[in-house]
Amino acid sequence: MPLAHAASTVPVVVNDDLCIADKGCTVCVEVCPLDVLRITDLLDGRKTAHMKYDECWYCMPCEADCPTGAVTVNIPYLLK
Amino acid sequence: MSQLFEEFDEISTLAEGLDDAEAGGRIMAVIELANSADPEAIPHLAKAIIDPDEGVRKQAALALTAFDGSATAAALVVALGDESQAVREAAALSLTELKDPEAGDALLPVLTDSNEFTLLACLAGITELRRPEAMAPAIAALAHTSPMVRCQAVSVIGWLQDSTAIPALRSAATDEHPTVRRTALAALGFNKSDHSEKILISGLDDKDWQVREAAAETLTKSGSHTCIADLINALNDEYWQVRLKAVRTLGRLGASESALHIGPLMSIDVPNLRKECAAALGELCVPASREFLELFKDDGDPDVRKNVRWALGKIDSL
Repeated sequence: MPLAHAASTVPVVVNDDLCIADKGCTVCVEVCPLDVLRITDLLDGRKTAHMKYDECWYCMPCEADCPTGAVTVNIPYLLK
Repeated sequence: MSQLFEEFDEISTLAEGLDDAEAGGRIMAVIELANSADPEAIPHLAKAIIDPDEGVRKQAALALTAFDGSATAAALVVALGDESQAVREAAALSLTELKDPEAGDALLPVLTDSNEFTLLACLAGITELRRPEAMAPAIAALAHTSPMVRCQAVSVIGWLQDSTAIPALRSAATDEHPTVRRTALAALGFNKSDHSEKILISGLDDKDWQVREAAAETLTKSGSHTCIADLINALNDEYWQVRLKAVRTLGRLGASESALHIGPLMSIDVPNLRKECAAALGELCVPASREFLELFKDDGDPDVRKNVRWALGKIDSL
Protein backbone atom coordinates (compact mmCIF):
# COMPACT_ATOMS: atom_id res chain seq x y z
CA MET A 1 0.00 0.00 0.00
CA PRO A 2 1.36 3.48 -0.82
CA LEU A 3 2.22 5.53 2.26
CA ALA A 4 0.45 8.85 2.65
CA HIS A 5 3.09 11.57 2.64
CA ALA A 6 1.00 14.61 3.55
CA ALA A 7 -2.21 14.77 5.56
CA SER A 8 -3.60 17.45 3.28
CA THR A 9 -3.49 15.33 0.12
CA VAL A 10 -5.29 12.23 1.37
CA PRO A 11 -9.04 11.57 1.21
CA VAL A 12 -9.53 11.12 4.95
CA VAL A 13 -8.88 14.38 6.77
CA VAL A 14 -9.04 14.61 10.56
CA ASN A 15 -9.71 17.84 12.43
CA ASP A 16 -7.11 17.66 15.20
CA ASP A 17 -9.06 20.08 17.38
CA LEU A 18 -12.12 17.83 17.39
CA CYS A 19 -10.34 14.45 17.49
CA ILE A 20 -10.44 12.81 20.92
CA ALA A 21 -7.76 10.19 20.26
CA ASP A 22 -6.04 11.80 23.23
CA LYS A 23 -8.85 10.40 25.38
CA GLY A 24 -8.28 6.90 24.03
CA CYS A 25 -10.74 6.97 21.13
CA THR A 26 -9.80 4.66 18.24
CA VAL A 27 -13.21 4.33 16.60
CA CYS A 28 -12.07 5.38 13.10
CA VAL A 29 -9.04 3.09 13.22
CA GLU A 30 -11.21 0.15 14.24
CA VAL A 31 -13.96 0.64 11.67
CA CYS A 32 -11.69 1.16 8.66
CA PRO A 33 -11.93 -2.04 6.55
CA LEU A 34 -8.60 -1.30 4.85
CA ASP A 35 -6.85 -0.52 8.13
CA VAL A 36 -5.26 2.63 6.73
CA LEU A 37 -5.82 4.90 9.74
CA ARG A 38 -3.52 5.25 12.71
CA ILE A 39 -3.24 7.30 15.89
CA THR A 40 -0.24 9.60 15.96
CA ASP A 41 1.31 12.13 18.34
CA LEU A 42 1.07 15.80 17.51
CA LEU A 43 3.97 18.19 18.16
CA ASP A 44 2.19 19.59 21.21
CA GLY A 45 1.94 16.11 22.75
CA ARG A 46 -1.73 15.52 21.96
CA LYS A 47 -2.83 12.52 19.90
CA THR A 48 -4.87 12.51 16.72
CA ALA A 49 -5.98 10.09 14.03
CA HIS A 50 -4.44 10.32 10.59
CA MET A 51 -4.40 8.44 7.32
CA LYS A 52 -1.19 6.44 7.17
CA TYR A 53 -1.74 4.59 3.91
CA ASP A 54 -3.13 6.36 0.88
CA GLU A 55 -5.79 3.79 0.07
CA CYS A 56 -9.48 4.47 0.55
CA TRP A 57 -12.69 2.76 -0.54
CA TYR A 58 -14.74 5.83 0.41
CA CYS A 59 -16.97 3.49 2.44
CA MET A 60 -17.46 6.26 5.02
CA PRO A 61 -17.83 4.56 8.42
CA CYS A 62 -14.83 6.49 9.76
CA GLU A 63 -16.72 9.72 9.08
CA ALA A 64 -20.11 8.39 10.13
CA ASP A 65 -18.96 6.72 13.36
CA CYS A 66 -16.59 9.44 14.61
CA PRO A 67 -18.19 10.54 17.90
CA THR A 68 -17.11 14.16 17.51
CA GLY A 69 -17.46 14.63 13.75
CA ALA A 70 -13.70 15.12 13.41
CA VAL A 71 -13.28 12.93 10.33
CA THR A 72 -14.10 14.12 6.83
CA VAL A 73 -13.80 11.90 3.78
CA ASN A 74 -13.27 13.91 0.62
CA ILE A 75 -14.87 11.90 -2.14
CA PRO A 76 -13.40 12.50 -5.61
CA TYR A 77 -15.74 14.35 -7.94
CA LEU A 78 -16.05 11.41 -10.32
CA LEU A 79 -17.25 9.11 -7.54
CA LYS A 80 -19.99 11.47 -6.34
CA MET B 1 -19.24 -14.84 42.40
CA SER B 2 -15.84 -13.19 42.43
CA GLN B 3 -16.10 -12.75 38.67
CA LEU B 4 -19.40 -10.92 39.10
CA PHE B 5 -17.84 -8.49 41.55
CA GLU B 6 -14.95 -7.89 39.17
CA GLU B 7 -17.34 -7.03 36.36
CA PHE B 8 -19.25 -4.68 38.65
CA ASP B 9 -16.04 -2.92 39.59
CA GLU B 10 -15.11 -2.58 35.94
CA ILE B 11 -18.42 -0.87 35.04
CA SER B 12 -18.18 1.52 37.95
CA THR B 13 -14.62 2.35 36.94
CA LEU B 14 -15.70 3.01 33.35
CA ALA B 15 -18.59 5.12 34.62
CA GLU B 16 -16.17 7.41 36.45
CA GLY B 17 -15.23 8.70 33.01
CA LEU B 18 -18.71 10.25 32.76
CA ASP B 19 -17.54 12.81 35.34
CA ASP B 20 -14.61 13.90 33.15
CA ALA B 21 -14.41 17.66 32.83
CA GLU B 22 -13.94 17.41 29.06
CA ALA B 23 -16.71 16.23 26.74
CA GLY B 24 -14.25 14.04 24.82
CA GLY B 25 -13.48 12.08 27.98
CA ARG B 26 -17.17 11.58 28.68
CA ILE B 27 -17.75 10.42 25.09
CA MET B 28 -15.01 7.83 25.52
CA ALA B 29 -16.60 6.65 28.75
CA VAL B 30 -19.91 6.21 26.91
CA ILE B 31 -18.21 4.21 24.14
CA GLU B 32 -16.44 1.98 26.67
CA LEU B 33 -19.64 1.42 28.65
CA ALA B 34 -21.39 0.36 25.44
CA ASN B 35 -18.51 -1.93 24.50
CA SER B 36 -18.78 -3.65 27.88
CA ALA B 37 -22.23 -4.98 26.80
CA ASP B 38 -22.95 -5.28 30.52
CA PRO B 39 -26.55 -4.29 31.41
CA GLU B 40 -25.10 -2.65 34.54
CA ALA B 41 -23.99 0.11 32.18
CA ILE B 42 -27.56 1.10 31.28
CA PRO B 43 -28.18 3.43 34.30
CA HIS B 44 -24.88 5.17 33.60
CA LEU B 45 -25.78 5.66 29.94
CA ALA B 46 -29.19 6.94 31.03
CA LYS B 47 -27.30 9.54 33.05
CA ALA B 48 -25.15 10.42 30.03
CA ILE B 49 -28.25 10.99 27.94
CA ILE B 50 -28.93 14.18 29.92
CA ASP B 51 -25.30 15.35 29.76
CA PRO B 52 -24.81 19.08 29.08
CA ASP B 53 -22.81 18.31 25.92
CA GLU B 54 -24.74 17.44 22.75
CA GLY B 55 -22.01 15.07 21.49
CA VAL B 56 -22.13 13.04 24.70
CA ARG B 57 -25.92 12.83 24.60
CA LYS B 58 -25.86 11.71 20.96
CA GLN B 59 -23.21 9.08 21.68
CA ALA B 60 -25.21 7.82 24.66
CA ALA B 61 -28.33 7.51 22.49
CA LEU B 62 -26.36 5.54 19.90
CA ALA B 63 -24.61 3.46 22.57
CA LEU B 64 -27.92 2.25 23.95
CA THR B 65 -28.39 0.14 20.78
CA ALA B 66 -26.05 -2.32 22.53
CA PHE B 67 -28.72 -2.94 25.17
CA ASP B 68 -32.38 -3.84 25.37
CA GLY B 69 -35.23 -3.84 27.86
CA SER B 70 -37.44 -1.28 29.47
CA ALA B 71 -34.67 0.76 31.17
CA THR B 72 -32.99 1.25 27.80
CA ALA B 73 -36.26 2.23 26.17
CA ALA B 74 -37.05 4.68 28.99
CA ALA B 75 -33.67 6.41 28.53
CA LEU B 76 -34.24 6.66 24.78
CA VAL B 77 -37.71 8.11 25.29
CA VAL B 78 -36.10 10.87 27.39
CA ALA B 79 -33.69 11.55 24.50
CA LEU B 80 -36.63 11.89 22.08
CA GLY B 81 -37.42 15.17 23.80
CA ASP B 82 -33.86 16.49 23.47
CA GLU B 83 -33.34 20.00 22.14
CA SER B 84 -30.82 18.71 19.59
CA GLN B 85 -32.17 17.12 16.42
CA ALA B 86 -29.05 14.90 16.14
CA VAL B 87 -29.74 13.45 19.59
CA ARG B 88 -33.43 12.94 18.85
CA GLU B 89 -32.64 11.16 15.58
CA ALA B 90 -30.02 8.96 17.26
CA ALA B 91 -32.56 7.99 19.92
CA ALA B 92 -35.23 7.26 17.29
CA LEU B 93 -32.75 5.05 15.42
CA SER B 94 -31.81 3.17 18.58
CA LEU B 95 -35.47 2.58 19.44
CA THR B 96 -35.89 0.57 16.24
CA GLU B 97 -33.18 -1.83 17.43
CA LEU B 98 -35.15 -2.92 20.50
CA LYS B 99 -36.19 -6.57 20.41
CA ASP B 100 -37.20 -7.37 24.01
CA PRO B 101 -41.02 -7.07 24.36
CA GLU B 102 -40.47 -5.69 27.89
CA ALA B 103 -39.01 -2.57 26.30
CA GLY B 104 -42.57 -1.79 25.26
CA ASP B 105 -43.41 -0.90 28.87
CA ALA B 106 -41.61 2.42 28.42
CA LEU B 107 -43.02 3.04 24.94
CA LEU B 108 -46.71 2.29 25.50
CA PRO B 109 -47.46 5.43 27.58
CA VAL B 110 -45.88 7.61 24.86
CA LEU B 111 -47.99 6.19 22.02
CA THR B 112 -50.51 8.97 22.56
CA ASP B 113 -47.89 11.74 22.56
CA SER B 114 -48.93 14.88 20.74
CA ASN B 115 -45.43 15.42 19.33
CA GLU B 116 -45.28 13.91 15.84
CA PHE B 117 -41.60 12.96 16.01
CA THR B 118 -41.96 11.26 19.40
CA LEU B 119 -45.10 9.41 18.32
CA LEU B 120 -43.47 8.25 15.09
CA ALA B 121 -40.31 7.06 16.86
CA CYS B 122 -42.25 5.19 19.53
CA LEU B 123 -44.53 3.52 16.97
CA ALA B 124 -41.44 2.47 15.03
CA GLY B 125 -39.83 1.21 18.22
CA ILE B 126 -42.78 -0.88 19.35
CA THR B 127 -43.55 -2.36 15.92
CA GLU B 128 -41.33 -5.44 16.17
CA LEU B 129 -41.98 -5.85 19.90
CA ARG B 130 -45.51 -7.06 19.04
CA ARG B 131 -47.19 -5.73 22.16
CA PRO B 132 -50.96 -6.29 21.90
CA GLU B 133 -51.53 -3.15 24.02
CA ALA B 134 -50.16 -1.11 21.12
CA MET B 135 -53.16 -2.01 18.95
CA ALA B 136 -55.57 0.64 20.29
CA PRO B 137 -53.12 3.58 20.09
CA ALA B 138 -51.98 2.40 16.64
CA ILE B 139 -55.57 2.33 15.38
CA ALA B 140 -56.07 5.81 16.84
CA ALA B 141 -52.90 6.96 15.06
CA LEU B 142 -54.44 5.96 11.72
CA ALA B 143 -56.39 9.22 11.97
CA HIS B 144 -53.20 11.30 12.38
CA THR B 145 -52.60 14.06 9.88
CA SER B 146 -49.05 12.87 9.14
CA PRO B 147 -48.87 10.10 6.53
CA MET B 148 -45.60 8.91 8.11
CA VAL B 149 -47.37 8.36 11.43
CA ARG B 150 -50.29 6.61 9.69
CA CYS B 151 -47.85 4.40 7.79
CA GLN B 152 -46.00 3.42 10.95
CA ALA B 153 -49.31 2.76 12.72
CA VAL B 154 -50.24 0.38 9.91
CA SER B 155 -46.91 -1.39 10.41
CA VAL B 156 -47.62 -1.83 14.13
CA ILE B 157 -51.04 -3.32 13.34
CA GLY B 158 -49.60 -5.50 10.58
CA TRP B 159 -46.93 -6.98 12.84
CA LEU B 160 -49.54 -7.86 15.46
CA GLN B 161 -51.44 -9.97 12.88
CA ASP B 162 -54.62 -9.73 14.93
CA SER B 163 -57.83 -10.40 13.01
CA THR B 164 -59.68 -7.75 15.05
CA ALA B 165 -57.59 -5.13 13.25
CA ILE B 166 -58.62 -6.23 9.75
CA PRO B 167 -61.30 -3.51 9.37
CA ALA B 168 -58.69 -0.86 10.27
CA LEU B 169 -56.23 -2.28 7.72
CA ARG B 170 -58.91 -2.43 5.03
CA SER B 171 -59.71 1.19 5.73
CA ALA B 172 -56.00 2.11 5.56
CA ALA B 173 -55.80 0.38 2.19
CA THR B 174 -57.86 3.27 0.80
CA ASP B 175 -55.81 6.01 2.51
CA GLU B 176 -55.08 9.09 0.43
CA HIS B 177 -51.31 8.56 0.76
CA PRO B 178 -49.77 5.81 -1.43
CA THR B 179 -47.21 4.72 1.18
CA VAL B 180 -49.98 4.09 3.70
CA ARG B 181 -52.01 2.14 1.11
CA ARG B 182 -48.94 0.12 0.15
CA THR B 183 -48.11 -0.77 3.76
CA ALA B 184 -51.74 -1.64 4.50
CA LEU B 185 -51.92 -3.99 1.51
CA ALA B 186 -48.71 -5.73 2.60
CA ALA B 187 -50.10 -6.02 6.14
CA LEU B 188 -53.32 -7.61 4.85
CA GLY B 189 -51.30 -10.57 3.55
CA PHE B 190 -51.82 -12.66 6.68
CA ASN B 191 -55.61 -12.49 6.35
CA LYS B 192 -56.89 -15.02 3.84
CA SER B 193 -60.52 -13.87 3.67
CA ASP B 194 -62.26 -13.18 0.37
CA HIS B 195 -62.84 -9.58 1.36
CA SER B 196 -59.13 -8.95 1.95
CA GLU B 197 -58.27 -10.67 -1.31
CA LYS B 198 -60.72 -8.41 -3.15
CA ILE B 199 -58.97 -5.38 -1.65
CA LEU B 200 -55.60 -6.76 -2.76
CA ILE B 201 -56.94 -7.38 -6.26
CA SER B 202 -58.31 -3.84 -6.44
CA GLY B 203 -54.82 -2.69 -5.40
CA LEU B 204 -53.55 -4.00 -8.76
CA ASP B 205 -55.41 -1.09 -10.37
CA ASP B 206 -54.11 1.58 -7.98
CA LYS B 207 -52.84 4.78 -9.62
CA ASP B 208 -49.50 4.42 -7.76
CA TRP B 209 -47.17 1.76 -9.18
CA GLN B 210 -45.66 0.92 -5.81
CA VAL B 211 -49.11 0.12 -4.44
CA ARG B 212 -49.73 -2.12 -7.46
CA GLU B 213 -46.36 -3.77 -6.83
CA ALA B 214 -47.24 -4.41 -3.16
CA ALA B 215 -50.63 -5.83 -4.18
CA ALA B 216 -49.06 -8.19 -6.73
CA GLU B 217 -46.47 -9.34 -4.19
CA THR B 218 -48.90 -9.83 -1.29
CA LEU B 219 -51.32 -11.89 -3.35
CA THR B 220 -48.70 -14.68 -3.14
CA LYS B 221 -49.81 -15.19 0.45
CA SER B 222 -53.48 -15.56 -0.45
CA GLY B 223 -52.93 -19.00 -1.97
CA SER B 224 -56.18 -18.45 -3.85
CA HIS B 225 -56.60 -18.76 -7.62
CA THR B 226 -59.38 -16.18 -7.93
CA CYS B 227 -56.78 -13.47 -8.56
CA ILE B 228 -55.05 -15.25 -11.48
CA ALA B 229 -56.84 -13.33 -14.25
CA ASP B 230 -56.04 -10.00 -12.58
CA LEU B 231 -52.40 -10.98 -12.13
CA ILE B 232 -52.16 -12.02 -15.79
CA ASN B 233 -53.57 -8.60 -16.61
CA ALA B 234 -50.87 -7.03 -14.38
CA LEU B 235 -48.23 -8.60 -16.65
CA ASN B 236 -49.00 -5.68 -19.00
CA ASP B 237 -48.39 -3.03 -16.34
CA GLU B 238 -46.35 -0.08 -17.55
CA TYR B 239 -43.85 -0.65 -14.67
CA TRP B 240 -41.60 -3.70 -14.96
CA GLN B 241 -41.40 -3.83 -11.15
CA VAL B 242 -45.14 -4.59 -11.02
CA ARG B 243 -44.80 -7.15 -13.82
CA LEU B 244 -41.93 -8.82 -11.93
CA LYS B 245 -44.01 -9.28 -8.77
CA ALA B 246 -46.98 -10.52 -10.78
CA VAL B 247 -44.72 -13.08 -12.50
CA ARG B 248 -43.34 -14.23 -9.15
CA THR B 249 -46.82 -14.58 -7.63
CA LEU B 250 -48.18 -16.46 -10.63
CA GLY B 251 -45.22 -18.85 -10.43
CA ARG B 252 -45.66 -19.47 -6.73
CA LEU B 253 -49.40 -19.93 -7.04
CA GLY B 254 -48.74 -22.56 -9.72
CA ALA B 255 -50.97 -20.78 -12.23
CA SER B 256 -50.02 -22.91 -15.24
CA GLU B 257 -52.47 -21.04 -17.47
CA SER B 258 -50.22 -17.98 -17.11
CA ALA B 259 -47.11 -19.65 -18.59
CA LEU B 260 -47.83 -18.57 -22.15
CA HIS B 261 -48.36 -14.99 -20.92
CA ILE B 262 -45.11 -15.00 -18.95
CA GLY B 263 -43.00 -16.45 -21.80
CA PRO B 264 -43.11 -13.34 -24.04
CA LEU B 265 -41.90 -11.18 -21.12
CA MET B 266 -38.54 -12.97 -21.40
CA SER B 267 -37.71 -10.75 -24.37
CA ILE B 268 -37.89 -7.54 -22.29
CA ASP B 269 -34.52 -5.91 -21.71
CA VAL B 270 -34.67 -6.06 -17.91
CA PRO B 271 -32.44 -8.87 -16.53
CA ASN B 272 -34.27 -9.02 -13.19
CA LEU B 273 -37.58 -9.55 -14.98
CA ARG B 274 -36.10 -12.22 -17.29
CA LYS B 275 -34.62 -13.99 -14.26
CA GLU B 276 -38.00 -14.00 -12.51
CA CYS B 277 -39.80 -15.17 -15.65
CA ALA B 278 -37.41 -18.11 -16.02
CA ALA B 279 -37.90 -19.05 -12.37
CA ALA B 280 -41.69 -18.83 -12.70
CA LEU B 281 -41.68 -20.92 -15.88
CA GLY B 282 -39.62 -23.51 -14.04
CA GLU B 283 -42.11 -23.57 -11.19
CA LEU B 284 -45.06 -23.83 -13.59
CA CYS B 285 -43.37 -26.60 -15.60
CA VAL B 286 -45.47 -26.14 -18.74
CA PRO B 287 -43.78 -27.90 -21.70
CA ALA B 288 -45.04 -25.23 -24.13
CA SER B 289 -42.86 -22.63 -22.37
CA ARG B 290 -39.73 -24.50 -23.46
CA GLU B 291 -39.56 -22.48 -26.69
CA PHE B 292 -39.25 -19.21 -24.72
CA LEU B 293 -36.63 -20.61 -22.37
CA GLU B 294 -34.49 -22.08 -25.17
CA LEU B 295 -34.05 -18.58 -26.63
CA PHE B 296 -32.33 -17.38 -23.44
CA LYS B 297 -29.99 -20.27 -22.68
CA ASP B 298 -27.08 -17.99 -23.54
CA ASP B 299 -28.47 -14.80 -21.96
CA GLY B 300 -25.89 -12.15 -21.10
CA ASP B 301 -26.93 -12.24 -17.45
CA PRO B 302 -25.55 -15.22 -15.46
CA ASP B 303 -28.55 -15.31 -13.11
CA VAL B 304 -30.93 -15.53 -16.07
CA ARG B 305 -28.85 -18.36 -17.60
CA LYS B 306 -28.90 -20.28 -14.30
CA ASN B 307 -32.67 -19.95 -13.92
CA VAL B 308 -33.23 -20.91 -17.57
CA ARG B 309 -31.09 -24.05 -17.11
CA TRP B 310 -32.97 -24.91 -13.92
CA ALA B 311 -36.37 -24.34 -15.57
CA LEU B 312 -35.46 -26.46 -18.62
CA GLY B 313 -34.23 -29.20 -16.29
CA LYS B 314 -37.56 -29.14 -14.45
CA ILE B 315 -39.52 -29.40 -17.69
CA ASP B 316 -37.24 -32.20 -18.97
CA SER B 317 -37.81 -34.16 -15.80
CA LEU B 318 -41.56 -34.29 -16.34
